[in-house]
Amino acid sequence: MENKNISQIVLERIKMEGLKPISKSIFSIKRVIFWTLVTISLIVGAFTFSLVLFSLFNNDWDLYTKFGLNFILKTLPYFWIISLIIFIVLGEYYYRKTLHGYRYTLIVVVGAYMALSIIFGSLFYVLRIGDLVENSLVDISPQYRNIILNRHEVWTHPEDGLLSGKIIRTGNGVIEIIDSNGIIWTIDTIGTINRGRVEIEIGERIKIMGDMVNNNNFKAEEIRCWMRMR
Amino acid sequence: MIDHSLCTEKTDVDLVGMSLEDSEHFLCLSKRYEDKLLRYIIRISKFGREDAEDVLQEVFIKTYFNLNDFDKELQFSSWIYRIAHNEAVSAIRKKVVRPTISLEVEDLVKFGDSFDMTKEIDQTLDRRIIDEAISKLDEKYRDVLVLRFLDEKDYVEIADILKKPVSTVGNLILRGKKLFKEEYDKLTIKSMS
Repeated sequence: MENKNISQIVLERIKMEGLKPISKSIFSIKRVIFWTLVTISLIVGAFTFSLVLFSLFNNDWDLYTKFGLNFILKTLPYFWIISLIIFIVLGEYYYRKTLHGYRYTLIVVVGAYMALSIIFGSLFYVLRIGDLVENSLVDISPQYRNIILNRHEVWTHPEDGLLSGKIIRTGNGVIEIIDSNGIIWTIDTIGTINRGRVEIEIGERIKIMGDMVNNNNFKAEEIRCWMRMR
Repeated sequence: MIDHSLCTEKTDVDLVGMSLEDSEHFLCLSKRYEDKLLRYIIRISKFGREDAEDVLQEVFIKTYFNLNDFDKELQFSSWIYRIAHNEAVSAIRKKVVRPTISLEVEDLVKFGDSFDMTKEIDQTLDRRIIDEAISKLDEKYRDVLVLRFLDEKDYVEIADILKKPVSTVGNLILRGKKLFKEEYDKLTIKSMS
């Protein structure tokens, strides 16, 4: 097969059109961008896993017997689980765009991503970063509180005997809380069981089981702290 | 002017460095690969020679543009084959009507040898069957079989060219061989009946 001219034609084109190789720095920037995206996906994924752990450890599993499977299903951290999956998928996608990203199979890359998310996510959980973020989100974002965080939704059903909120006043046998909808409730705490290391202090977030007496009045049977102490 | 006779002593990596300094040296690199790449483009695209030459020109221009992106961990040949593969695939997609030229006899013999069918491909009919069986294979199998048996690349090189894990390449070759043999047997029986 003879094709003597092609190389010569190409060289002439390079010279005539004044073509130059793309600068090395452009390729270096591209590589740095992809590795940054890989790292960000991993960190956010790990962070998301710490929030999954936080939600699972703070779920009221013992109430399964009282309120049934539906209660547990409603309180699972779907938003964070879906977010975790999204960040694993994104991480895998960006890793594939790196220089040697094609060398490993999908299972290896996703497996490594999951393992690293679990390791770093557990570390974030131990460092209580999950608590910090969830509480901040609850305080600053009504959307998060009302739509994303099922636990708040589940614990804002006074007609079913479930109420939660932040203590705004304490008194003798009575406290006042503000729930996630901004409604102020007066809680009768006489004869109430305080489960766990719950602290009845202003600013504390608590969960209450009991009976709704009327609008804004609730008789507490059991009070739990919003999060378990670690 | 550069003395191109000196090119033969230089490695691909040397020539990449030299081409970055002076585009004249790029001629050495392109000359080194033009025959192999032209054959490869024809094999995977089934384009006529003219169309394949157009694709090859673009391959060399792209290679020159991206010389600074060449990863020295790879063989230069894998890298330029990758560019050729991508360019050929992109050209195939752009073409509405694909000419269907047959593989060269030399390629068919080589392919037959790889499958221990040397005796059978002595006959024109069998060569035609091999050609038809290859054409019937899915693109992903045809790509790996062409690289493995016609361009004689090893698994790692194929993995680098097609940007797939080595284990995936191994599986594609295994499955591709099986599918080719099935197709070949089916066509042989059909031609005899």
